[in-house]
Amino acid sequence: MEALVKKFNEILGWERRKRREQTLAMIGCVTFAFAIVFLPLNGFLPRDWLRWTVPGILFVVLAPWFFYRAKWRHQHSARAVAALDKELRLAECAVTAWEISGGAELGGAKLLVLQRAEAALRNIAARQILPRSVSWPMYGVVPLVLLWLALLWLDFDRPYPEARHLGPRNLAERVREYSRELQDKAKGEGLRETLKFGQELEKTAQKSYEQKTPEESLRKEVAGLAQQFTVPASRQDKNAFSSGETEQTLKDLKTELEASRDLLQFPDGAKNSDEANQRLMERLSGLPELKRQFDAANPGAGLGSSELKAFLDKLDQQVTKELDRRALIDAQQYLEQMTKQGSPERGENYARSEATGEPDPNAAGLHEKSFSKLPGKEPGQQDADVRSLPDLRSGPQTQVKGILGAGESSGLMLKGNPSGGKSALADSEVVASYRRQAEQELNSERVPEELKEMIKNYFLSLGEAKNR
Amino acid sequence: MQSVEEIEQRISSARRSFDELRAEMARVIVGHESLIEQVFIALVCGGHCLLEGVPGLGKTLMVRSLGEVLSLSFSRIQFTPDLMPADITGTNMLTDDPSGRKVFEFQRGPVFAHIVLADEINRATPKTQSALLEAMQEQSVTVGGKMHRLENPFMVLATQNPIEMEGTYPLPEAQVDRFFFKLLLEFPSRADLARIADLTTAAPASGPREVLDAAGILHVRQWVREVPLAEVVKDYAVRLVMSTHPQQRQGNGSGGLAQRFVLYGSSPRGLQSVILAAKARALLAGRANVSFDDIRTQLLPSLRHRLILNLEADAEGVTAEKILTEVAAQVPEVE
Repeated sequence: MEALVKKFNEILGWERRKRREQTLAMIGCVTFAFAIVFLPLNGFLPRDWLRWTVPGILFVVLAPWFFYRAKWRHQHSARAVAALDKELRLAECAVTAWEISGGAELGGAKLLVLQRAEAALRNIAARQILPRSVSWPMYGVVPLVLLWLALLWLDFDRPYPEARHLGPRNLAERVREYSRELQDKAKGEGLRETLKFGQELEKTAQKSYEQKTPEESLRKEVAGLAQQFTVPASRQDKNAFSSGETEQTLKDLKTELEASRDLLQFPDGAKNSDEANQRLMERLSGLPELKRQFDAANPGAGLGSSELKAFLDKLDQQVTKELDRRALIDAQQYLEQMTKQGSPERGENYARSEATGEPDPNAAGLHEKSFSKLPGKEPGQQDADVRSLPDLRSGPQTQVKGILGAGESSGLMLKGNPSGGKSALADSEVVASYRRQAEQELNSERVPEELKEMIKNYFLSLGEAKNR
Repeated sequence: MQSVEEIEQRISSARRSFDELRAEMARVIVGHESLIEQVFIALVCGGHCLLEGVPGLGKTLMVRSLGEVLSLSFSRIQFTPDLMPADITGTNMLTDDPSGRKVFEFQRGPVFAHIVLADEINRATPKTQSALLEAMQEQSVTVGGKMHRLENPFMVLATQNPIEMEGTYPLPEAQVDRFFFKLLLEFPSRADLARIADLTTAAPASGPREVLDAAGILHVRQWVREVPLAEVVKDYAVRLVMSTHPQQRQGNGSGGLAQRFVLYGSSPRGLQSVILAAKARALLAGRANVSFDDIRTQLLPSLRHRLILNLEADAEGVTAEKILTEVAAQVPEVE
């Protein structure tokens, strides 16, 4: 009887092992199937490398439930021994003997059953009689693993780019995004060098992103590229604008230059006459920045039509070149800061920090005042209380957009609560980054084409009023 | 406690007796091997059989031959509408005793035999039928306030004709339930029919030889009950019986014929019948334990008369056999 019990234990042990293997294969199948199905959600993981651990996590979560369901029970033993009976055609002798062997009372008939079962099972090997059957989970698990690996390797888990903004991105992605913004800006303002720089920067970032090169290597490449595009001081035009000219002044000048093409057209008969000069000066009074440049270049002298055109063309080139140069410097400063800091987005792009609702540490206690000729309540007049800014909470950007019409529009941008103490950042870093943000805001304004001219004239009229 | 050798000897003895019985019966009865086996199983289980078949298939001959082979007394009762219970059980007759005094003496009826053939039982009135059925259940009859024990072993083989239903009194369900088996007599095959012609139109052969006596049958009856039955096999039988009830879902979970056509499923007597018959079959096959196949084989004869079908089944021609066959196919051996 002991031999029979031992044999039953051997058979049931083998069956248990088969069941464990089946369960593991099933868990593997389900795990990788889930991992594949939920692949697009990998973008929401806080760390990029965590996507490789998804199956492991799923396995740990699912395994207890599967093992509980597949727990070996009495009926499984009965089923296994009954299967043995079927295989050996014992007419349920083995299963009867198995049940009898677990009982206490052993009559003559029961002993006979045990004896017959022992004789039948003595020389059998469980592995041969009940071989391991390959079920569909066993067939399915390897292809699923390979499929998952392939999909992950090919970045199929990132179908929603917007989801990626929620998690931290690597340097290559950030540089690539910045380069695209820079190109947009350069195209809009006609900045050729900046456009070239943006294109080169995008290529470098894309290459790094695809080849998954280390961030240190990308930093060096970006630094090299920035160095390559640096405009040496010796190459600067002698008539270039001084650093005292603000970027806004230059932009105003550029706007006035564009407007002057129409305003400074005179009839042929009026050319080279005093009347023409007088009319020129009248019209220039409505273009304050241009008049200032005109006065500086031609003190007290009038210009002919061709000379005036040449002067305007030259001035236009100089302004564009200066804006291009400054945009490049800004970009280089920004990139330098980005490559230095672990998370440069904070404090540099309030549009992103506002999404998180967190206060911007770099901007804490600072507010930017725009010296542009923003409209007041009435053209040419500034309210006294414009400078006394309301006490607004830091956090999301506050932007009041003007209402087109009777001069009731105003723009105000605040960043954080003013607080005492010294700034932790250098002025150059802060100014560069904030200038860029302000420009982006201006560029992002959606102004209807038919109203652009009206707005332009409005700002010019502001300059005239100021001069008066 | 008996030794293993004794048990083995007992099993081989039972098997040998059965083989001899089959051989002797085959000399008289052509075909019906399965029927003879079932009747013998019912006998060794202490049950009674309801035989259903058209006239002329050898029912009476088979029962009489069985009595001869087993060396058991045999009596036949032809049931008619005017048959009275006393005609079966017997009655107290006024007779003279040796001293010349008038006394009542019990005159035993035909029920006092080991094997009773109740021919066309459905032709008698329910009152008469119930008299026999009481004898079947209690194995005794009570006349004039005095109980009289019947023979042991005692077996009733009742027949009924399935085609002549006019002027009959169908057996109530409660009485049908008391029959261990309901067996169907099939019309013989072409070869069997030819053999029947040869056997019955030639010079009469010698009668069958006696192979087992009443004591031997009682021994086998006791051995049958000692055959071990595994829990999983018993559970299979239970699930089969449960599946005949319309309230129960069958093995695959889908509603089967039982759910549609059965009004009342098998009684617990049906389960007893299946298990006991399976044990007997295992013993007669020389095995020491019951198999799933034993259970399946005994399902039809044990349960076919215990299912009460609805009118829809009658209209659609669905039989209990069909339902039981489906149940046996759908219920898994091990759950």
